[in-house]
Amino acid sequence: MTRRRSTIAVWVVLGLALLVAIFPFWWMLVTSFKRPVDIFAGVSLWPQHLTFDNYSRLFGPYHMGSFLRNSVLVVTVAVAVSLVLGTLAAYALARFRLRLGLNEHALVAALLVRMLPPILLVIPLYIVLSKWGLLNTRLGLIVIYSGLNTSFVIWMMQSFLEEIPRDIEEAAMVDGDSRLTALRRVVLPLAAPGLAATAIFSVITTYNDFLIALTLTSTPDAQTVPVGVSTLIGKIQIEWGPMAAAGVIGALPIVLFALAVQRHFVRGLTLGAVK
Amino acid sequence: MEGGAQAVAGPSGARVSERWARARSSPYLLLLPAGLALAAVAAYPLIYGLRSSFERYRFGRDLGSAGLANYRSILHDHVFWTAVGTTARYVIFAVVIETLLGLGLALLVSRELRFGGIIRVGLILPMTIAPVVVGVIWRLMYASDIGIVNPVFGWLGLHEPNVLANTTSAFIGVVAVDVWEWTPLLFLIILAGLQSLPQEPLEAARIDGAGPVRTFFDHTLPLLMPVLMVAVVLRTIDAIGTFDQIFVLTKGGPGTSTQLISTYAYNTAFLFTQYGRAMAMMVALLVFLLLLMIVAIRLMRRAAARSAA
Repeated sequence: MTRRRSTIAVWVVLGLALLVAIFPFWWMLVTSFKRPVDIFAGVSLWPQHLTFDNYSRLFGPYHMGSFLRNSVLVVTVAVAVSLVLGTLAAYALARFRLRLGLNEHALVAALLVRMLPPILLVIPLYIVLSKWGLLNTRLGLIVIYSGLNTSFVIWMMQSFLEEIPRDIEEAAMVDGDSRLTALRRVVLPLAAPGLAATAIFSVITTYNDFLIALTLTSTPDAQTVPVGVSTLIGKIQIEWGPMAAAGVIGALPIVLFALAVQRHFVRGLTLGAVK
Repeated sequence: MEGGAQAVAGPSGARVSERWARARSSPYLLLLPAGLALAAVAAYPLIYGLRSSFERYRFGRDLGSAGLANYRSILHDHVFWTAVGTTARYVIFAVVIETLLGLGLALLVSRELRFGGIIRVGLILPMTIAPVVVGVIWRLMYASDIGIVNPVFGWLGLHEPNVLANTTSAFIGVVAVDVWEWTPLLFLIILAGLQSLPQEPLEAARIDGAGPVRTFFDHTLPLLMPVLMVAVVLRTIDAIGTFDQIFVLTKGGPGTSTQLISTYAYNTAFLFTQYGRAMAMMVALLVFLLLLMIVAIRLMRRAAARSAA
């Protein structure tokens, strides 16, 4: 009897936690489908009159189309570049004992870069990029994100590559492959799940970045989705409907990606300390 | 091409070791591009920033050396010290609440396995989305005219708080948002830790007649400690750098009630173009963070070693 009662209590607590976690998303979603009149018409957990007007205004006068295009371009290129640079480095660290304790130092350095809060970097980055003429360009963002994300790729891929037995690539090399061919033909396919998880994590953190893009870009020519979302708030009178719609657009791709990697979440977030 | 790297495991056949020997130099070349990238976007800006903390800027132009003037000026800047205090309170409240809630939820879910997958997915959603979107969501929740927090307080017969309009409630409000966003992180890490615990000591304690509370404090918690510490320190480092949600929710206001070091440094640099002063703050912050990061790396290594064993 008491056991039964405690089980019910557990479910009540979990249900409540789930409600608290999910409801705010619902509130944003519902608001994004309401007409301005209905938004101000008191609490309603369902759009009184379903409208897509907020979304069409978001993609019209509020430039969401450009923000999305910029984000997709910047994130794709930066993640691709950092995956190549980071995986090569991770392979070197996982397979060779290097001089000067480089294996150890390189990993710690990568980890430190990963943990640095962006606010520490943006002020000098702003000054440096303005000197190079890369302010408010997508190229500038790509350069910065590629470099910063490389640290994460090194850290993740080193641990994934270490789990792959050496014998297999040695066999490939006996068959005449060069080291890099063996890496590409044999090791990477085996490391594919880890590589995919690393790529998706990289997409999430790069797409979600706000502060770097906020300081280094200033017009819809280069601004990314999070910055675009924040521009809707700066107005004197807040446009709640488009702002909610912008939040939905900003969240949607990431929620889908996150669900795809939830098995690897703990490893990615604790930087490998907990698997 | 030829350098001095040594392959870790000597392969068996002679032909293989020849190949291995020929490839010996390549690891340094493989590291080079990544090393250059990290140097360009992290090391260089940090060094540049360190230098600029000793320079005088006006309207964004470098006017030459300022000696220690920037450091002296932040030392006497009470707004800066208020921001330091607010950041400390923000981080302590947020991390403690998140740890307790995360631990509680993880203990519940690890016991109740039916629908565990769905519950886990639902609970982790808040931390996956951009912090800016988190800010937008809570603007919509807190808004006095279109939000839902005020009506809910009203229905409960409580005073409607107007969360972001008053100094105390705004601070509580931004901490609550942090708790909403990041409790899932602590929950997930602790859950993973709990599920990897050895079962024997816990079983033994149960057989010896120890109640669940005793078992938790005598056995589960000590065993969980390495993982828990990693989670707490990583979260603390992250929380100290909080910027996005504050920028979207309050911009540090009302007054200076939610002004954190990050938002104050941002304003100093990009509203008042005093790069030197802002960088002096960031150098001070970096020194403090480096200490925490060293602790973090130690703890992570220990936890990783334990989970490997």
